[in-house]
Amino acid sequence: MKLLRTLILRPLRRDLTRTALTVLAVALGVAVVVAIDLAGDAATGSFRSSMQTLAGRTDLEIAANGGIAESLMAALTALPVDAKFAPVMEAQAVVPGVGSVPLYGADLMGDARVLPSKPLAARLRGGPLTFQVNGRAVRYETGAAVDGAGDFLVLDLAEAQRALDRFGALDRIAVTVAPGEDFAKVERAVRAVLPAGYLLNRPGARSEENQRMLRAFRWNLRVLSYISLVVGAFLIYNTISISVVRRRAEIGVLRAVGAARFTVLALFLAEAALFGVAGGALGVGLGRLLAQGTVGLIAGTVNALYTTSRPAAIALGAGEAWGGVLTGVLVALGSAFAPAREAMWVSPVEAMSRGAREHHASLRWRRGLAAGFVLAALAWAASRIDPVAGYPLGGYAAALLAIAAAALAAPALVLAVNRATRALTRRRAESLLAGRSLTASLARSSVVVAALATAIAMMASVGIMVGSFRETVTVWLDSQLRADLYVRPAVTPAAGEYPPLPRGIGRVLEAASGVEAVDLFSGVPFHYGGERATLGGGIMEIVRRYGRLRFLPGEDRDAILRSLPGADRAIASEPFANRHHLRAGDRIAIPLGARTVTLTIAGVYYDYSSSQGYLMLDRGTLLRYLPDQPATNAAVYLARGADAESARRDLERRTAGLGVTVAPNRALRQAAIEIFDRTFAITWALEAVAIVVAMLGAANSLLALVLDRRRELGLLRYLGASAGQVRGMILTEAAFLGLLATLLGLALGFALSLVLIFVVNKQSFGWTIQFHPPAALLVGAPALVWCVTVAAGLYPARVAASLRPADVIHEE
Amino acid sequence: MPPPRLELRRVSKSYRNGAQTVEVLHDISLDAAAGTITALLGRSGCGKTTLLNLAGAMDFPDAGEVRIDGRATTSLSDAELTALRRTRVGFVFQFFQLLPTLTVLENVELPLLLAGARNPAAAARDRLRWVGLEEKAASLPYQLSGGQQQRVAIARALVHSPDLLIADEPTGNLDTASGDGVLALLREAASRFGAAILMATHSAEAAAIAGTRVFLRDGRIQGIERS
Repeated sequence: MKLLRTLILRPLRRDLTRTALTVLAVALGVAVVVAIDLAGDAATGSFRSSMQTLAGRTDLEIAANGGIAESLMAALTALPVDAKFAPVMEAQAVVPGVGSVPLYGADLMGDARVLPSKPLAARLRGGPLTFQVNGRAVRYETGAAVDGAGDFLVLDLAEAQRALDRFGALDRIAVTVAPGEDFAKVERAVRAVLPAGYLLNRPGARSEENQRMLRAFRWNLRVLSYISLVVGAFLIYNTISISVVRRRAEIGVLRAVGAARFTVLALFLAEAALFGVAGGALGVGLGRLLAQGTVGLIAGTVNALYTTSRPAAIALGAGEAWGGVLTGVLVALGSAFAPAREAMWVSPVEAMSRGAREHHASLRWRRGLAAGFVLAALAWAASRIDPVAGYPLGGYAAALLAIAAAALAAPALVLAVNRATRALTRRRAESLLAGRSLTASLARSSVVVAALATAIAMMASVGIMVGSFRETVTVWLDSQLRADLYVRPAVTPAAGEYPPLPRGIGRVLEAASGVEAVDLFSGVPFHYGGERATLGGGIMEIVRRYGRLRFLPGEDRDAILRSLPGADRAIASEPFANRHHLRAGDRIAIPLGARTVTLTIAGVYYDYSSSQGYLMLDRGTLLRYLPDQPATNAAVYLARGADAESARRDLERRTAGLGVTVAPNRALRQAAIEIFDRTFAITWALEAVAIVVAMLGAANSLLALVLDRRRELGLLRYLGASAGQVRGMILTEAAFLGLLATLLGLALGFALSLVLIFVVNKQSFGWTIQFHPPAALLVGAPALVWCVTVAAGLYPARVAASLRPADVIHEE
Repeated sequence: MPPPRLELRRVSKSYRNGAQTVEVLHDISLDAAAGTITALLGRSGCGKTTLLNLAGAMDFPDAGEVRIDGRATTSLSDAELTALRRTRVGFVFQFFQLLPTLTVLENVELPLLLAGARNPAAAARDRLRWVGLEEKAASLPYQLSGGQQQRVAIARALVHSPDLLIADEPTGNLDTASGDGVLALLREAASRFGAAILMATHSAEAAAIAGTRVFLRDGRIQGIERS
């Protein structure tokens, strides 16, 4: 303990700025991980619909793709079992001044009033309530408010069916088994009366399905949150390395007076653990604060792309808190192990020879480069591995191996660039000394370069990935959105929900001026292979004539689309096909209403709107199996030469009061790109934190270099250097570090972007992204990082310039 | 008699050590003229190094005045002091203080580079030739013996032809033969380049080459010998 105090704690106290920088870097790394975890849990943790909360305990749930026939209720209630069967309908209503809210139909014993949830009741004025369902205004007296979180309305089932124009149809039936009744018996009896295509699930199944759906999204977000921690690990490695180099003589003395090697190892690991505990504890607190700001972003993405989720309160329990601290400690110990082990093997004699470690580092660059090549080859091999249990583990391994390869190649790069620029740098004292200083302290300058390069690489790779994805989506939107106008219900549905258009809308649209063709599309959420997807029905002949749907290479678009009408054939979106391992020609059995239908996959088309995917039939085929399916949106193609704006006005006039919106092609594209940009906003925030951590590392290291070279800096003043020249030298070093990191970071970033695009994204979400590196980002981001690196040198430069030469020149 | 390159007039210097004030130099006066060698002698801690720092304008007296080429160091701005060191003063240290990352030639060039010289290599090679190490120009300091390193340090100290050369125990870390070689160079530096040399030393051999020997004890001049 005494040794720890004198050899570790005292120097840490003396060097408070550097200690604080290191702790802060660990804290930021841990904070990001904790924040993403807490915010992810809060944003996706509550999938229980308000209705589930309202209905209380449910033991089983009956559902069917395309809805349930109400007639089933008679068969169920006649079963000789002690169980309650509660029919449920779900839709969206538009309440004036509030917007879209869920509307539930439930058995209210014939109550003719609408019941608002308590939070919604607080926002309403009371009295009769007029709202819109399926484009029609309906008016009800308001009953007593009901318990339940969030805004929603409840109508009696019969009223709901009337309002929704869905007589005889249900969305779900909740089954509650009476206490003492044999659960298995009830399940068997229910299953026996269910048609083949109906599903009988445990109530957690929907939530599990949601969690499964979000798995890839949350995993990738979590992996991104580890970037700062990886960058922080470099920093800990560097800090402990510096600590070992500085205390070499003390280690030598300790060993000479009989300290065991293990004692030395334990001392330095204890130093790292202190950083881990302090940084981890600070990080947990910081993470809790960050989570508050992040939960909205994540919830927005989940709602826009996946499913309705009501953000729950952020819950920081003891488990999460200890987990955060433990993460900090483990990362600190892991990254400190190599330098601590090196300290353990210091021989007393070697400890007396100054600069030995740096000398070793310069000798080892060849070995590092060779190891780097080996790891790069392993990274390539790992990137070829198929996903494991749906996770792109090979991709993650490839990314880590590539980062390690770059870190090992860093010393060679520092030396090579230094050699290449020698003629140039030698012209000025500042650049000559800066360049040489970096090669002289190769071990530590390489670590700083590697840390900065990792941060730049992450930024560049994610930038390339997002830029490529954006460009791919833009091109895809261009081919996908070929209609001039789009008509959809005025309600704002959550992802995966398809509110209906009013019946007869097709005829109304076709009668408008300038309209040449109307493609009515029906979207039906459906369950397949334990996952949720969308079953779509469109008029394939119109899609063939007017659309530009792109199929996988080798597939004939025209022939595929011609083959769909009147046949049990479907086309699958690329993510759906990848998720369920389907190819053109495969057959797939899906439950549709009361039946199970076998469809042949005619082709696989590119789609970027849903990672869950689509299975598309001709609308005629869909209606054959689900006769009452309403259209959920319509694409309107205008005749050549027709004026889009006047056609839109005419359509709006004709559909006034039907509760639909008419959007021009441009608006839809813009909305899609806005959702895209919002989705990736959090990615940039995570990148920014990683860059800040790397900057802390650069400042920390430059400060260490200054403190360790006090004597040399003092000597320069004796030799005629001005304070400005000393400052300039440190800033030039910072600029060199930034330049080297940019070079390495861009190369690594390019490699990582390939892994992200062609391995991680493909395996996680199933879509093919075209490679489109965004030039502006690739120039702008490194330039920004370079400027900030130079800025990180300002404080160390000031310290260097303010040293008193007479005090430091005789220090040993 | 030429005017003194270095003049110390009633110089005193103290340091604070916690609550205590320790007087390191007390009422020191001495001159060093061009082409002369002055040796400072005395036990460790008697104030030799402090005196050298004051004389080289690296520190300032609490009382009294230090003049280099007639200009009081306390009256100069930081930029003027830097310019003074670049043009008028050279330093030689006991532990050579060569920069390990620079080659021998680059070490010698450094003062000229810091002063912004365009082509410092010619002057640096010239000085290296003078100290007999031109063939080591591309070597790194660790590849040289101690004596050779000190000769490089002397070449560096004289590369800009300073008026004043400050040497702190220049032979203190060398064997006799190497030390003799260094002393010969210092003697030549005074006679050939006309530098005023102020040297702190413990060595009788080093003291013997000095025209003036100043004996210090507890920060005070105990005696001055001239030969």
